[in-house]
Amino acid sequence: MQKKLFGLLSLLVLLSLVLTACGGGAATEAPAEEPAATEEAPAATEEAPAATEAAAEEITLTLGSWRVDDVAAWEVINAAFHEAHPNITVKFDPTNPPDYNATLRTQLETGTGPDLFFVRSFATGRELFDAGYIASLKDLPGISDNFTEASRAPWATESGEPYAVPIIAVSHGIYYNKDIFAANGIEIPTTWEELMAASQTLLDAGVIPFANGTKDAWDINEVVMMQFIPSNIGGFEGRMAYLNGDRCFNSDEMVASFQQIDDMQPYLPNGFEAVSYYDAAQLFAQGQAAMMMDGSWSIGAFQKDATDFEWGVFYPPALEGKDTYVTFHIDAAVGANAASPNLEAAMLFLEFLESSEFAALLGNNLPGFFPLTTDVPTLSDPIAADFMAFNSNAAGVDIRFVWEKLLAAPSGNVDAYTSLNNNVIAVLKDEKTPQEAADAFNADLAAWYAPAAGCK
Amino acid sequence: MSQTILTKSGSAGFLNPKKRLTLTWVLFLLPALFIYLTFMAGPLFDSLRLSLYTGQGYTPTEFVGFQNYINLFTNPLWREKFINAFTNTCIFFSIHMLVQNTLGLLFANLLSTDFKGRNFFRTVIFAPATLSVLVVGFLWTLILNPQWGAVNKILIAMDLKQLALPWLGRESLALPVISLTSVWQWVGMPTVMFLAGLMGISDELLEAARIDGASEWDIFWRIKFPLLKPVIGVVAILTFVDNFNAFDIIYAMAGAKGEPGYSTDLLATLFYRTGIAGEHPVGIPDMGMGAAIATMTFAILMTGVLSWLYLSRKQETE
Amino acid sequence: MRWNRLQLFFTYVVLTIWSVIVLFPIWTLLINSFKPQKQIFKDPFGLPETFTLDGYREAWNTGRFDLYFINTIIVTVIALGLILFIGSMAAYALAKWKSPVANFLYIFFIAGLMIPIRLGTLDLVRLIKALNLQDTYWSLVPVYVAMGMPIATFVLTAFIKELPGEMFEAAKIDGASEWQVYTRIVLPLMRPAMATVAIFNMIKIWNDFWFPLVFIRAEESRTVALGVSLLFGQYRTDWTRALAVLSLAAVPMLILYVLLAREFIKGLTAGAVKG
Repeated sequence: MQKKLFGLLSLLVLLSLVLTACGGGAATEAPAEEPAATEEAPAATEEAPAATEAAAEEITLTLGSWRVDDVAAWEVINAAFHEAHPNITVKFDPTNPPDYNATLRTQLETGTGPDLFFVRSFATGRELFDAGYIASLKDLPGISDNFTEASRAPWATESGEPYAVPIIAVSHGIYYNKDIFAANGIEIPTTWEELMAASQTLLDAGVIPFANGTKDAWDINEVVMMQFIPSNIGGFEGRMAYLNGDRCFNSDEMVASFQQIDDMQPYLPNGFEAVSYYDAAQLFAQGQAAMMMDGSWSIGAFQKDATDFEWGVFYPPALEGKDTYVTFHIDAAVGANAASPNLEAAMLFLEFLESSEFAALLGNNLPGFFPLTTDVPTLSDPIAADFMAFNSNAAGVDIRFVWEKLLAAPSGNVDAYTSLNNNVIAVLKDEKTPQEAADAFNADLAAWYAPAAGCK
Repeated sequence: MSQTILTKSGSAGFLNPKKRLTLTWVLFLLPALFIYLTFMAGPLFDSLRLSLYTGQGYTPTEFVGFQNYINLFTNPLWREKFINAFTNTCIFFSIHMLVQNTLGLLFANLLSTDFKGRNFFRTVIFAPATLSVLVVGFLWTLILNPQWGAVNKILIAMDLKQLALPWLGRESLALPVISLTSVWQWVGMPTVMFLAGLMGISDELLEAARIDGASEWDIFWRIKFPLLKPVIGVVAILTFVDNFNAFDIIYAMAGAKGEPGYSTDLLATLFYRTGIAGEHPVGIPDMGMGAAIATMTFAILMTGVLSWLYLSRKQETE
Repeated sequence: MRWNRLQLFFTYVVLTIWSVIVLFPIWTLLINSFKPQKQIFKDPFGLPETFTLDGYREAWNTGRFDLYFINTIIVTVIALGLILFIGSMAAYALAKWKSPVANFLYIFFIAGLMIPIRLGTLDLVRLIKALNLQDTYWSLVPVYVAMGMPIATFVLTAFIKELPGEMFEAAKIDGASEWQVYTRIVLPLMRPAMATVAIFNMIKIWNDFWFPLVFIRAEESRTVALGVSLLFGQYRTDWTRALAVLSLAAVPMLILYVLLAREFIKGLTAGAVKG
């Protein structure tokens, strides 16, 4: 038996060797990259004989991230950096989003981490910094000049010491099927009530108004609820009122937000409880749903998949009489591994991330991701430009509601994100009324967040 | 016959056949023991002791004794999470025990006699066990999709629209459905094990019973089933241990957050979310508490296995 | 003995229904991996109208699957060989050694199954790093061998215990050493049990993506499971490519299983001729 097993498996090994020969095209591409790199290095030293010792040394930096979809774009960005620093090659090495935090932490704790990596905002990244894994950037030239304080804040201590370079913000909106809208005589709604009326028209016409489902719980939370809240509470100032305890988390504005969720319920797909985020995207892309509330990061995906009809974006309108505030969420930054053997080279890359050259590369190669440099580049993609235009047309912009101070609850307590998520879904499943949901949300927070306990 | 020979040094003890036998056994066990200790038992048991600590990251350093366990059982939120996970795990296990192992018995019995196409069926039944859980998860999630999945499309075509439910989205349905998917994948295991057991029953015995006029039903319950008891015992304990640590299929079909509404949260996913991944999206793990959950899981399993061993030894000696 | 007409009918009905339930999803996987996305959406059950190899081509080119296959085969073959060899040795000892130590060790081996294996991740990563094996697929071999020990001891010990005692006594009378008994008598008879352990572990090793994820970063050392999981994450919205990638993961194991199933079954029936 063992002999046969061995025999069969040796056959397979032989087969694979044959396959390698056939796949030889792919195999020869990889080694071909290295000769190109080493050719450039001697060329650089020839042109610049006065180059320092550091410039002559070949360095490869790894950049860890959760953005598995963006491999091609980052190759372009890293190539641009390589041109400016021919001896440094940056490799983009992403991990699937659900596994990113755990893998990164394992690598950092065992000393096998990448030289550079994407840092999550606020508490998550801060914890890694406090543990000593991320290099401080207080001496990085240009960090204060190229970014506003608000942009740096998610990756800075209270005293303003930064530890990551902010690179990506994302926006949110409603993707809509222009053809279906036209066929049903619907104009872009300017108030929430108009949007609900339009949804009813669509439903009566046999079209699914909204593609969103709740199987991936985060979707309804981050991309729907947190777009309703700012317009109801008054953006940044409104959020501060809650964080300071000047308003309770079950105030009328919050109840109104839950009410909007309730309003949407009949306009979601049949069986929405089991419709995942990717399913929803398919429903929209294949023309079965007229709208999808989604983030700007999906521009590329829809450009690829939604090819049968004209589509555009508009921002979820506020309730009648209220101003629209846009959720422009500062999402990701890049930090350097404090234990990296190539820290100097890593810092050079971080400096590159502050430049307008990088900003333009990012904004134009990854439509839907917006650079945070004070010098905002002109975006070539029209839909990306539309998203940016939301900011100028709104009364104000703010990050997502729960990200600052409310994400990390002490052990044995529910954090704001989870509580909001559970209560939103409870409303959609008719398990709670909007008032009950808001009350439950407030109660969960009052249990550990002091200002909420003493709110007015 | 090899007898004790006094060595030059005069110590008869070393070449005592009993001691030599013991040494032989130890040598047989050494390689397995070494690898197992170094690369599995060592790291695992060492990590269990992390439950006595608290702190940041995966190696908490602040010693707190049994505080994590106390929190686990006195803090209402933790207690609720743990009991929920434990209950769900029991449900997951029960469905496997009842559906998977019964089907396995049925299939094995059908396959125990030679007929045309039997090899084909035997191969087919076990085939899903070879698939990666990613494949199984993705395929069945697609098939169960409320909008375009085969299951609902067939139900609607059969005029049973009210049964076309959001299978993976409803709290009362998600766990049973995922359990059944796992049964679909693994039913080949008990089938094959029962089949081996059935093949060991002598044909003459069965033939004699048939000649005596016993029905198949009788033969199954009076002859086959009792003779299969040891195999059933083995299958039961393997099902128990495998399912109480189940993680992959849930991760593939519902994620590690126990969605919807924690109805698919098992002990292993609760552990993962607490000790490794952290709550979404903040992702800060609490390894001390995670290790406590893992230790409790281990204790539960150990209790089950030791009971089974005790019962089966008792059966042997009866 | 054969089933009568009624029993045969019942047998065929039950087994055919189940076979449809098994084969239908696999069929869906395969035919849809050859269809462009829109077609999958419109007609998920039919044969491809436009046959496309794009999914496979892109998956093959984006990931170095030829390399992944070789890596995985090397790891699987070596780990399996070790599991069967040292596992059977240990099982023989545990089956025949009458002592409380043996009883304890038996439970100790099985205990490994009762703790979520990911708990030990960090310790293992540190160990692998200390052995300088990180970023190589060799790091996987000792871990998979260790993980195979519980099932190997469980199944093989039980099997050896069932072997008739007379064989051993006869061998002892002839003066055979334990090693000779093991190699000449026990090993040849253990084929069916070894087949069970081999198939069980082979599937687990082939499909595991967690340890490759934490031990290996370099592309050249990746395994099939890791490559599939990474590419699959990239292709969530592209069904053609996703299904092609999943097929690349599933088909080799399926083919191998079908080829080995005959051995497996032969071993089972051969070893079961008793009484």
